Amino acid sequence: MNERSEFATRAERGVGVPASERVGGSVGAKTPGSQMTGPAVVFEEVSKFYGEVLGVNRVTLNIPPGITSLVGPNGSGKTTLMNMMTGLIFPDHGRILVRGISPRDPETLMRVTGYATQYDTAPRWATGFTFITTGLLLFGFGRSEAEERAWKALERLGLTDAANRKVAAYSKGMRQRVRLAQAIAHDPDLLVLDEPLNGLDPLVRAETIDLFRAWAAKGKHVIISSHVLQEVDLISDQVVLIANGMIVAEGKIRDVRDEIQEHPSQYIVRCRDRDASGVAAQLFREEHITEIKLHDDQLGMLVMTRDREQFARALGRIALDGHRIESVVPADENVDALYEYLIGGKS
Amino acid sequence: MTPRSFRGRARQAWTIAKIELRRAFFARRSLWVYALALLPSVIFFGHGLDAKFRSNRLARGGVITPALMDSVRQGEPADDVKKRLGKPAEERVGMRIRRVRQRTGTAGTTTHVIEPTVDARFVRLNVTRASYSGEPVARIYEFEVYGPDGRVNLALHRPATGSAPCSPDQGPEKAVNGSVKGGQGDRWCAQDRPLFLQVDLGAVRPVTRFVVKHASAGGEKEESDTRDFNIQLSNEGKTFTTVASSSGAGFVEERLEHRQIVYFDGRREARLLFTDGKLERTDANRLLDFEEDRMIFAGIFQYFYLRLAIFFGCLGIFMNLFRAEMSNRTLHFWLLAPARREVLLAGKYAAGLIASAVIFGGGALLTFAAMVWPHDAVEVQSYWNAGGMGHVFWYAAAAALGCVGYGSVFLGVGLYVRNPIIPAAVLLAWEGASGILPHVLQKMSILYYLQSLCPVPAPMDDDAPTLIRLLAAPAAPASRPGAILGLLLLTAFVLWIAGLAVRRMQISYGTET
Repeated sequence: MNERSEFATRAERGVGVPASERVGGSVGAKTPGSQMTGPAVVFEEVSKFYGEVLGVNRVTLNIPPGITSLVGPNGSGKTTLMNMMTGLIFPDHGRILVRGISPRDPETLMRVTGYATQYDTAPRWATGFTFITTGLLLFGFGRSEAEERAWKALERLGLTDAANRKVAAYSKGMRQRVRLAQAIAHDPDLLVLDEPLNGLDPLVRAETIDLFRAWAAKGKHVIISSHVLQEVDLISDQVVLIANGMIVAEGKIRDVRDEIQEHPSQYIVRCRDRDASGVAAQLFREEHITEIKLHDDQLGMLVMTRDREQFARALGRIALDGHRIESVVPADENVDALYEYLIGGKS
Repeated sequence: MTPRSFRGRARQAWTIAKIELRRAFFARRSLWVYALALLPSVIFFGHGLDAKFRSNRLARGGVITPALMDSVRQGEPADDVKKRLGKPAEERVGMRIRRVRQRTGTAGTTTHVIEPTVDARFVRLNVTRASYSGEPVARIYEFEVYGPDGRVNLALHRPATGSAPCSPDQGPEKAVNGSVKGGQGDRWCAQDRPLFLQVDLGAVRPVTRFVVKHASAGGEKEESDTRDFNIQLSNEGKTFTTVASSSGAGFVEERLEHRQIVYFDGRREARLLFTDGKLERTDANRLLDFEEDRMIFAGIFQYFYLRLAIFFGCLGIFMNLFRAEMSNRTLHFWLLAPARREVLLAGKYAAGLIASAVIFGGGALLTFAAMVWPHDAVEVQSYWNAGGMGHVFWYAAAAALGCVGYGSVFLGVGLYVRNPIIPAAVLLAWEGASGILPHVLQKMSILYYLQSLCPVPAPMDDDAPTLIRLLAAPAAPASRPGAILGLLLLTAFVLWIAGLAVRRMQISYGTET
């Protein structure tokens, strides 16, 4: 875990450091102390329990404007964070300020916030158009202005053809887009989007990402969640990695990517003829191999390497030497492994 | 565009209410509310329709003057009445036939004579219907057979057989033992079909007369006497010839004529009941009694409408306002609106209130209209002149204020409790028992105020139990302004508590993190 510059894992953070000094420093957009008044989204030691079950635990975050991705496996607490940000649920401990506004003041907060939830529901009566128009009426827009804005939002997401059909009859992707359209219809400063790219086809996905970028370019917040890191790493200005209700890492995506590059890859190698120890002996000569665990059956092993390409070449050489390798399967092509690594590598 | 002012918030609440109205009115799971609201009007409408049809039908048969109708006297012969009053609107004659015991001859004993004399050795008594009461048990105390000389009972102490006896001491031999006075142990009793009793006279003899002593001859009820039976003879005990039969012997039919004549004077329907041609009773009823119908309406309004229909209707409408959105997973749309939670509560309450007030206020008015509709225009007009409009207004107001009160209660309950059954039961008991509570607690019940608003006290039979009387009527009704003020204060208090809950309300759609 060398030289992580702006990147901090929870393990490295001092427990006794005051919250105000810990937040902001890593994300870097704000100087410490100013985050409470600026347009950042601030979580201070926020915990939320669902009965006995932990939702999120002592989350401290300072999210500056731009595109921020909350990344974590299912059930890690992304939706909980987003719901707390928008006042759908309230934290049991800690404090949240969204661009200087408390989530307990929906009258002010929701005027500048658009939240596309994951709840795939719409009233039975609603068409795409009436659904969004109705929502806008609550902002105090007149009917004609509400309809105009609703139409614009639908246009933005390419839903005008389906505007007058019942939302209940939409496909999953269309429902996803109609929720996005509803979130942006009142031109909010803060867009909170729960798994917004789920169910979108590649073309629409690209257009949607453009929309996020346009939003962020105006100095606004776009906070999106995803359980697939690869899906968001290219578009995010910063990522927050969450696992089991805790912030595992946060920072600019470049740094996180470097970390990922350094992260040893794991492979499961299976050999024939109980030749595992022979193969292992060969592999150990390679510089990039950091660890090998042999399986008891003398057929398989877990190999950790810092360099995938060299590892691939080494395997080729070993095979040419006459060792019989049956299969090579990457063991960590998922975010979980990365988290585990970032948390401190228990395995 | 900033709704931070009171007006802005009020407008926002109204916007919410307008959106919610659709659901409040047409939520599929509360369509039964309409049935509750409309049921009494259907009943009144049916009653009115029935009365109108009947009065039309009677009028076609002829209308007489009220004075003529009142002139009939007890004991007057039917023919005289008809001559004096003219052709009746309806006439129905029924004959009541009663079976009574013939008072001649010896009780419970039948005698059957055959001419000419027949020679036979075996005599058989077949019972086809065992009793008048319908009980399928044959009871014969004595069966006597006489020859031409008529003095010697040929069957006496002869071997007798028959259907299996009811008990061993009631076998066939008891029917030929020459005695009937020994109680039930002195009879032949059987209930296995076919029911028969057979006596072997020992040799072929001429027979001409049979005497059968039935249940009542032995001291039992007349109803137990054998109803239908026949007597058969045979020489060899195999082929039998029927020589005598009896059905219902010993009874005669007593006929009694009942005549109902109906006269109609345009309003009243007089049913004159004649027995054997003499007027026995006169029932004169108004087909449509406005006074009575208004009392019935008052009763239905208080007992059905206020206590049940509006109570459960508001439960259905108002508990769904938040609960259903939680289970449909649509509540977050509201919570994500730029509105204070209290504004959301107010908007939803307004929607529920409009829906329930329209449904139940409308239902009450419709019921009132259905009640008034069939009545005589003059009568109705005089009712309007005597403050009828005020009654209508206060009925509608009580229904609407009932929705105000119960609506707030169930809106609040819906925010605190998931399952409506238990709070509904508790509230129903509380509201029902408010009449026997101390005065201070009475004021905590919606019903207390609503009853005070009703223009006509609910009808109560004088013989109703004290407890019911207590439960039904408020001990000390409040004045109308006081009742309205009290109800609104109670509602405001309940809504304030609901506001506390709605501020704390969080989305919980089940499984999610």
